[in-house]
Amino acid sequence: MPITDAHVGRTYPATAPYPVTAGKIAEFADALGDDSPAYRGPDAVAPPTFAIVVALAAWDGLFADPELDIKLSRLIHGDQRFDYARPLRAGDEVVSTLSIDKVRARGNSAFITVSASVDTTAGEHVCTSTSTLVHTWPEEASA
Amino acid sequence: MSVEVGLELPSLELTFTRTDLVRYAGASGDFNPIHHSDHAARAIGLDGVLAHGMLTMGRALRVVTDWAGDPAKVVSYGVRFTRPVPVPDDGVGTVVTVNGRVTRVSDGVATVSIEALCDGAKVLGSATAEVRVD
Repeated sequence: MPITDAHVGRTYPATAPYPVTAGKIAEFADALGDDSPAYRGPDAVAPPTFAIVVALAAWDGLFADPELDIKLSRLIHGDQRFDYARPLRAGDEVVSTLSIDKVRARGNSAFITVSASVDTTAGEHVCTSTSTLVHTWPEEASA
Repeated sequence: MSVEVGLELPSLELTFTRTDLVRYAGASGDFNPIHHSDHAARAIGLDGVLAHGMLTMGRALRVVTDWAGDPAKVVSYGVRFTRPVPVPDDGVGTVVTVNGRVTRVSDGVATVSIEALCDGAKVLGSATAEVRVD
């Protein structure tokens, strides 16, 4: 299997700065069917799970890593956790930095735990997204 | 506010339609086709389109944020995606019922255990949010 526990600790470069806008927050809240006023207007906070939008951009580091042979279409999201120092807000500009925390192989699948630290471009920590991704390689490639 | 262990939060009944999935795909940037295309879902052995786990996770948290009154009070939130939510293109959609119960209160932070049920089965495992209640 291309990914092993030798890759634990690998960290990818921070994503390009992502501007959190009031319009994007409202669009995301609409998609959750949540009409809370907290998510509207120029001083909106983002719904807590909005952080996944920023974390997803960091996952691209995995897909782009030729050593790992990981494809989005072969991934299942096993679990997800967010720890917040504060909410994301309209006007924040944030980057996300991905690390591989744990790798556990089972058959032709790997359980890969990654964490994405979301921080402002000024260096303030906002939240951490921790995900277990289950990747399955085709049978013929697992021999 | 005064919060005691055992408090049951008001339940939510959420309906997921195919349009909801398309809207979430656009808003989140997760365009995995198993969340909008039956053709793509069947190609990997599924019976049909499934809701994004993150959509179920995101919508279920409202049981906590509506009760707490301010989403900025959420300190942590974690779930396991134990079972998918199938969303057929039938014009009706799929209903998920969400319940929340306070299981711990410590240092001004309440721990809420969240249960999300679809057709009587749990679709989220170990779903827990911590929220400031002081």
